[in-house]
Amino acid sequence: MTEKRDIATRMAGNQKQASISEFFEKNKHFLGFDSLHRSLITAVKEAVDNALDACEEARILPDIRIEIRKADPRRDIIELEVEDNGPGIPRDSIAKVFGQLLFGSRFHAIRQSRGQQGIGITGVVMYSQLTTGKPTHVRSKIASETTAVEMDLGLDTKSNKAIKSKEQRVPWVLEDGTEKVSGLNVQCRMKAKFQRGKQSVWQYLRMTSIVNPHASITFVDPDGERTHWPRVTERLPRKVSAIKPHPHGIELGQLNRLAKATKAANLSIFLKTDFSGVPGRAVKEMCEVSGLVDAKGQPLKSRPGRLDPEQIRALAETFQGIRGYLRPYRLDHRGSRIYVANARRPGNPTAPIANAKHGDLLDALTGASIDDLVGIVTARTDMHWEESLTELVGAVGSAHGDGPWNKQAADAISKHLRKAWDPRIVFEAVKLLKPPIDCLSPIEELLIKKGLSKTIDSRFVTTLTRAPAVSTGNPFQIEVGLIFGEGMAADSAVEVLRFANRVPLMYQQGGCMLTKAIESVDWRQYGLDQPGGNGVPKGPAAILVHLASTNVQFTSEAKEAVADNEEVREEARKAMLELGRGLRKHLEKKKKLAKTQEKFELITDILPAIAEKSAAILDREVPALAGSITRIMNAVIAQEETAWDKESKRTTVEISLRNYTAKARSYTLLANWPQREGAVMVDNEHGGRAEMTGVWAWKLETLKPGESATITFALDGLEKGDWTETDVFYRGAGDVIGASKMDDALLAELRRQEDIITGEPQEEEEEAMADEPEGPEVPAEDSPAPPVDEGGGTPAPSGPKQTLFDYTEGEA
Amino acid sequence: MTDRTHSPEETKAALHDVVVEMYDRIVKGEPPTMTLPVRTKNNITFNKRLGVYKYGKSTSVRDATSLRSAKQLLRALHVVEFIEEMIDAGKSSTLREMYYISEGWGHGKFGSQNESNNLAEDLEVVTKCLREDFKLRPEEDGARIIGNITLQERNRRGEWMRINARDDVGDSGYGVPYNVESEKLELIEHDVDFIMAIETGGMFDRLIENGFDEDHRCALVHLKGQPARSTRRIMKRMSEEWDLPVVVFADCDPWSYRIHASIAYGAIKTAHISEYLATPTATYLGITADDIVAYDLPSDDLSKKDIEALNAELTDPRFQDPWWQEQINMMLELGKKAEQQSLAKYGLDFVTDTYLPEKLAELGLA
Ligand SMILES: Nc1ncnc2c1ncn2[C@@H]1O[C@H](COP(=O)(O)OP(=O)(O)OP(=O)(O)O)[C@@H](O)[C@H]1O
Ligand SMILES: [Mg+2]
Repeated sequence: MTEKRDIATRMAGNQKQASISEFFEKNKHFLGFDSLHRSLITAVKEAVDNALDACEEARILPDIRIEIRKADPRRDIIELEVEDNGPGIPRDSIAKVFGQLLFGSRFHAIRQSRGQQGIGITGVVMYSQLTTGKPTHVRSKIASETTAVEMDLGLDTKSNKAIKSKEQRVPWVLEDGTEKVSGLNVQCRMKAKFQRGKQSVWQYLRMTSIVNPHASITFVDPDGERTHWPRVTERLPRKVSAIKPHPHGIELGQLNRLAKATKAANLSIFLKTDFSGVPGRAVKEMCEVSGLVDAKGQPLKSRPGRLDPEQIRALAETFQGIRGYLRPYRLDHRGSRIYVANARRPGNPTAPIANAKHGDLLDALTGASIDDLVGIVTARTDMHWEESLTELVGAVGSAHGDGPWNKQAADAISKHLRKAWDPRIVFEAVKLLKPPIDCLSPIEELLIKKGLSKTIDSRFVTTLTRAPAVSTGNPFQIEVGLIFGEGMAADSAVEVLRFANRVPLMYQQGGCMLTKAIESVDWRQYGLDQPGGNGVPKGPAAILVHLASTNVQFTSEAKEAVADNEEVREEARKAMLELGRGLRKHLEKKKKLAKTQEKFELITDILPAIAEKSAAILDREVPALAGSITRIMNAVIAQEETAWDKESKRTTVEISLRNYTAKARSYTLLANWPQREGAVMVDNEHGGRAEMTGVWAWKLETLKPGESATITFALDGLEKGDWTETDVFYRGAGDVIGASKMDDALLAELRRQEDIITGEPQEEEEEAMADEPEGPEVPAEDSPAPPVDEGGGTPAPSGPKQTLFDYTEGEA
Repeated sequence: MTDRTHSPEETKAALHDVVVEMYDRIVKGEPPTMTLPVRTKNNITFNKRLGVYKYGKSTSVRDATSLRSAKQLLRALHVVEFIEEMIDAGKSSTLREMYYISEGWGHGKFGSQNESNNLAEDLEVVTKCLREDFKLRPEEDGARIIGNITLQERNRRGEWMRINARDDVGDSGYGVPYNVESEKLELIEHDVDFIMAIETGGMFDRLIENGFDEDHRCALVHLKGQPARSTRRIMKRMSEEWDLPVVVFADCDPWSYRIHASIAYGAIKTAHISEYLATPTATYLGITADDIVAYDLPSDDLSKKDIEALNAELTDPRFQDPWWQEQINMMLELGKKAEQQSLAKYGLDFVTDTYLPEKLAELGLA
């Protein structure tokens, strides 16, 4: 990323025309213009990304049209036109946006956005100019003006300034006669090649539409063929806010740069205002443990830029948790730790004596006496509290005398030190808050589902958004989706759809960490083919992975493959396992369903036909079937139908239970429903009660042989396709085909999970950190939670649908 | 021989028994069933009195607890009804026609022609009637015969027509009709010493071109692969009524062995009527596995399927004879198979001048 900026910076400087085009030529692969084919995709990508970014910022539902025309087929000259309904660009900025490198609105902010450089669209203008000599035509209208402004833009590569011409004001009337409120239309002519296939404009747009379900995208290819990917939700992506860097992700060099560049007047202000996750308390602590305090223990008042290299290094070590506090505690009568407030001291986490080698300790202790004991211990570790040392001396003295000790005694003392002695001190890094995670904009399960369903026509879709996590100070979030079913090739590798911050990654699939996460799962156990149990699985499926992060690390400047990062890969892998479980469950259910369906066909169609035909041939009466049916089915069968009712705009659910056995049976039926997703249950005539959030229960009357019961209800507040399958459970004896047995131990576990989730959602940790008593010397009665590894928190539930099953099967 | 067939009343009564079984089960509150002999090699036993293999005592019950078998039962009912209609109307139809007619049977419709053929056989087996009783005609291609034999066949006008299978026929020989019972066909006279059944058309034509039938005083029958019922039936009649030996000349592969077994001992699929179709005195002339070695014949490797078939034959009751066990094992050991026409390695006349005379001499027929 920085390299691209460097290139741009150098390009933006005063250069001679010849050399700037040379320079572009030399570095065009970084900018995505290395082949005629790729150049076109890049140009589309820059324009579309900008349109999506601008709409998102202006909170407008995007309508984007992309048209590619062959301007001169013999010479591979292509005309590209992209139009959006975004906010438009004010007249005075147009020339800068299109004709000046590095004119972007957001290169300092850390947050998840598509464009980050301020090179994108200018690169397209430059490429067009260099390959065809033609300027780029722009039409822009902002809502506050009545007319649009039009102009042709070229680049003066000498001065990094735009050359504009033919500027005029025009009314912008749409096809339907109405006036356009706001938007941008860009047309340029470039040397490029249009292709179809896995790496194509079409594929880029298709993928873009999957992860931007709120966008309506229309594409007209050079043959005039139109593809329209409709908007499937009115919900705009969550507004993202910029965040400052988090200390955990900062290296020495970066800290150095930040310290030199900051506007903060002193160290405290620097720490407090230039970073995220640093509460006031932590500012003081960081200075203290870094040794950046004056005689009174107050943070140095020096300008950050003035810190010497040693001081910067110390601060960086504090950032990374290498420096921190040694914190004493005492034991209460039950043996639990009570931390002694304000009795901590800065230090490095030297290894506790328990980690020392037995032989070394033995050598030191042999021939030594009780007076040497403290010296021996303190020379080897900082991890002790005076009180515990005094106790140690007493204990050793009474057990082994004052010494000098022989080998045998030394051996016993060494063992005591390593195993039994409690040094009453722990190391703690300065506690920081997690970086805020609202800087991420996940697409969210339901919308991924919709996005996938609209571009791939298949039956089964499962999606999952993992809870946000943090890796070296960078918040990130993994989202995955899997679509399975007919209509996709069964004997080739599944389609992998990779995205980073909603941007499709189309190249270098093999080298991408997201692909590796898919490959690390043994898909065979989930019902997909995978020769040898590794590699991308085969089967009629597509797998989507989206990494949302404030800092996506790519393997190269081309930004096509995500670089490896263990925490992120592990998150992605876990998500894949959950998808796999969903798939397996689906396949099992499908199989069972097919079997039940067959039996139903048997008793509803075939058996009556046999009875009628045999009676007709023999000229006898048609026999009653009830007995045979019971014998053939010999089961209780649950059937569920979840459907969308167009008229009422509700999802209707019908669950029926029929007793095909020879005995009377009684059951409680349970069903899951998307309560957490905001659905409201209506028309539930059977009553029943909530078993827990998202699970409803109905006690049924006893069913005699051949009897059935039906439960119906409707769900309000959902859109079509949000809820297509209801899971049915039962409580009662025997097996029910078409429903799973509700195990009460499982239910209790679900409830417990629910309490955790709805009780104090993931703030636990932050609160513990922030509200630590700093006041007077009152010993805190409760030991604070030990420092938790960031990112290792309990995963938030992933919607009611998954929840029920995920927990039944446990973590793989 | 007309005692093979049953009267319309007998046939209907037998079919009704099948229906009654289903009906009664439903009345009893049980899933309907159809009981029939197991039709695999594990359930054929040698009948000493008849000298052929017949179905044994194992039966299987097809019951309507799975969709597949329930559909079979329903189909059976439709077929029964269809046969009754034909009997009453004095009509007949081909198996293929029945397959197409089943299109109108709703859930009882056949999935494939094979299914309808099998079901017709099932009913034959259960009712001990023949498909002639059912008024169902096969599609199967009858054989061709060339040689100095004379028979008479009733033509479509109902007149008897005398045919000599050497003088009154063209190169393709006398075409055997699907019904070869005495009401349709009579064996009049012959001037041959034996009957030779030949597997492939190419070899049949070669022998005719070389004048083998006249030189060696025999009738040649082209089997056309696995021989149709009528082919086996006419050979049986010629062998019994004229007291002529039958020899089988086939390729050397597991499938040819089975062709011979169906001619000599009875086919597994038609074991219910083996005594009408099998010619227990038929002898396998060649090509034998030892011929491959003895005549150094060009050969092909056995395929996986071939090997499976040979292994299955080792446990087939019809091949328990030591000579057959030896031939099968030899083929497995060689790992080779050979075609009849591989004899052409030594020239076009080798088969008629050398191979067959030598083989027939072994049997005392030359
Ligand atoms: N379609 C558009 N509608 C409104 N504003 C736009 C549009 N396209 C670009 N802009 C404005 O122009 C700026 C520059 O765009 P440009 O593509 O050059 O850089 P960028 O998107 O910030 O970063 P990147 O180099 O990664 O694309 C954007 O930041 C945005 O403010
Ligand atoms: Mg951009």
